[in-house]
Amino acid sequence: MQSLSATSAPGVLLDLSGVVILLLAFACLGSKLFNRYVAYYGAQSVVLSFAAGVSAYAFHSVELWVLAGATLMIKGIGIPLAARRLLIRRLDLKRDSALATGLSTSLIVGGGLTAFAYLVTRPQLLPHGLVAAAVVPLSTAVILLGALAMVVRRHTVAQLVGWLIVENGVFLAAITLVAAFPFIVEAGIFLDVVAGVLMMLVFVSGLTRQLASASAAELRELQG
Amino acid sequence: MTILAFVVVAGPLAGTFAAAAGARARPAGWTGAAGACLALAAAVWLTIGQLHRPPLRGLGGFLYVDSLSCFFMFTVAVVTVLAAVGSVGYVAAEEAAGRLSGFQVRLYYIFFGLFAALMLASMETGNLGLLFVLIEASTLASAALVGLEGKASSLEAAWKYVIITSLGVTMALAGTLFLFYSASGLHLAADLRLTWPYLFAHARLLAPDSLRLAFLLAVVGYGTKVGLAPMHTWLPDAHAEAPSPGSAMLSAALLNTGMYAIIRFFAIARAALGPEFPRVVLLVFGFLSVTIGVLFMVRKGNFKRLFAYSSVEHMGIIAVALGFGGVLGLYGALLHTLNHAIAKTVLFLTSGDVALRYRTREAAGVAGLLTAVPLTGAALLLGSVAVLGSPPFGLFISEFTIVRAGFAGASPVLPLLLLLLFAVAFVAFARTTTGMATGEPALATGADPAVSPYRGRAVGLTAVLPAAAGLVVLLVLGLWIPAGLGTLISHSIAVL
Repeated sequence: MQSLSATSAPGVLLDLSGVVILLLAFACLGSKLFNRYVAYYGAQSVVLSFAAGVSAYAFHSVELWVLAGATLMIKGIGIPLAARRLLIRRLDLKRDSALATGLSTSLIVGGGLTAFAYLVTRPQLLPHGLVAAAVVPLSTAVILLGALAMVVRRHTVAQLVGWLIVENGVFLAAITLVAAFPFIVEAGIFLDVVAGVLMMLVFVSGLTRQLASASAAELRELQG
Repeated sequence: MTILAFVVVAGPLAGTFAAAAGARARPAGWTGAAGACLALAAAVWLTIGQLHRPPLRGLGGFLYVDSLSCFFMFTVAVVTVLAAVGSVGYVAAEEAAGRLSGFQVRLYYIFFGLFAALMLASMETGNLGLLFVLIEASTLASAALVGLEGKASSLEAAWKYVIITSLGVTMALAGTLFLFYSASGLHLAADLRLTWPYLFAHARLLAPDSLRLAFLLAVVGYGTKVGLAPMHTWLPDAHAEAPSPGSAMLSAALLNTGMYAIIRFFAIARAALGPEFPRVVLLVFGFLSVTIGVLFMVRKGNFKRLFAYSSVEHMGIIAVALGFGGVLGLYGALLHTLNHAIAKTVLFLTSGDVALRYRTREAAGVAGLLTAVPLTGAALLLGSVAVLGSPPFGLFISEFTIVRAGFAGASPVLPLLLLLLFAVAFVAFARTTTGMATGEPALATGADPAVSPYRGRAVGLTAVLPAAAGLVVLLVLGLWIPAGLGTLISHSIAVL
């Protein structure tokens, strides 16, 4: 199994990117403005594409270079731009008020989940000395934080960003853990994400338009 | 044979292309139905051809068809044919009533075909990464069906569906990743390390800790698609809001596709970790699903939600059967998959006819079905009796087998609990459906149920024919299991 050691230069860079990605997930969890959600997600994706580039350089893998480029163009630039144009500006979203818990509570829970991620993935699973042993707990924590954001936020746009963060976490784990998913699979996963975002954009804008004209009772239609 | 595998996937796309080329409701519907029949014919041919041969392999492990794939492919193809024929009348009537625009009708056929093709394709791949890609893509295609009507409630259901299942399936991807990682000791080429037959053959060499995590994540992730409790919350909304033939596809094909993925992971986990861990996981999720499904069936309300909760219950039963294990348990699980798929298709297609005639999806607004529309009323009653596991229908045999498999195990508590839940389900479900079938036809909603909403005899026939055909198949399966089907199921069990 080709895997990077934690002390090699690419290993250190990957580790560092993982930490920045986790911090950006926390930043997203701790903010209340729709603009910021999207900005943090975009920054996270840029760091992720850097990590993919490091991995591509270390393994001399053309496919990973392609993925790094696609991540930068689509997740780093395309999706944030589309979300800003089509959702935030057009629907005039500013401050997210549909939070189930206060910001501090969700940050504390997020800290707990990060500790949990280390507890679950660190000791048994991974051989020491590999960069994967450092990055997999980080990416597990990112996945859990994204899921937490989806749980504590009720606004559809916030949930969409939460799902994208989960997706980034999985991708981070993928490039450090395996580095060599068959390209068709990687490309398929990428296409699924893009198609998913497009579909969600349609639903969100349709839903927001409907609810603007409809009464709040409509939200209670689906229960039981 | 490889060509046949492609025909199976390409068949349902006929409707997609027809609709994309601008065909109107009826021609697109008939093309879709013809394509579905072609897919079923190819699936049957492929199954018969493969029955006594080693699995079909190709394309570097991306194409892999064994008996288990054939069994699920057959199930999904049967459901697709019934639902595609049922669509012809339903969609045309909805368009005539002005509830769907021409554009929505085209979207319906485009995504219906795509949805069916993606599900059939996911049964033909041996690569677990590609399996994830196809299953996630089928989620997106079916989400378009759920949100098709464009009302606030259907958009809300579609949103809930797409966000919950996407999150779930992403968890399954993380599980796939850990499975891939657990195989790092095997020194296989990267392409093969995600290929099911290789992983299964080398199961004992996989790293157990990482595999345990992989199996859990896969059950939670794909279990979201299957509708296992507590990840089932999207299911009743999506089933209630989709057009009825679409609900049939969701309940009878999509849930089984998720279960197929779980079975693949289950087989590897069982071979590598021993039977105890996977058994406990599936029994816990299974019993939770049966209990929750049954409890929510007690509530009277939207009848499509009732059928949806019954799907949660039945998926739970299948998970329990896998958990009971042994030849009996696995046999019961597979037989129940086929039986439930056909019974639920019958019920959802019938519910489409009822909704068209009464213009409501509330059970309270429907009465006197047997008087007003005897055929539909009979289909509803017989379908409910069948889905509740009464003889002489097929579900009786499969539920009986599953309970027997439970009694073969260590403790009689679990199968007894299952029997108790069956009894509650019977009362809760039948209470609603008999109320709909009997009594005087109420005209409260201003719709006369006896007036046919369909134009033309052939189109009217599509409302009755698939349900009747499904009931006949269920009756046959209750009395006699054809030799070919029996062999197919026992070969599928041998694969695991």
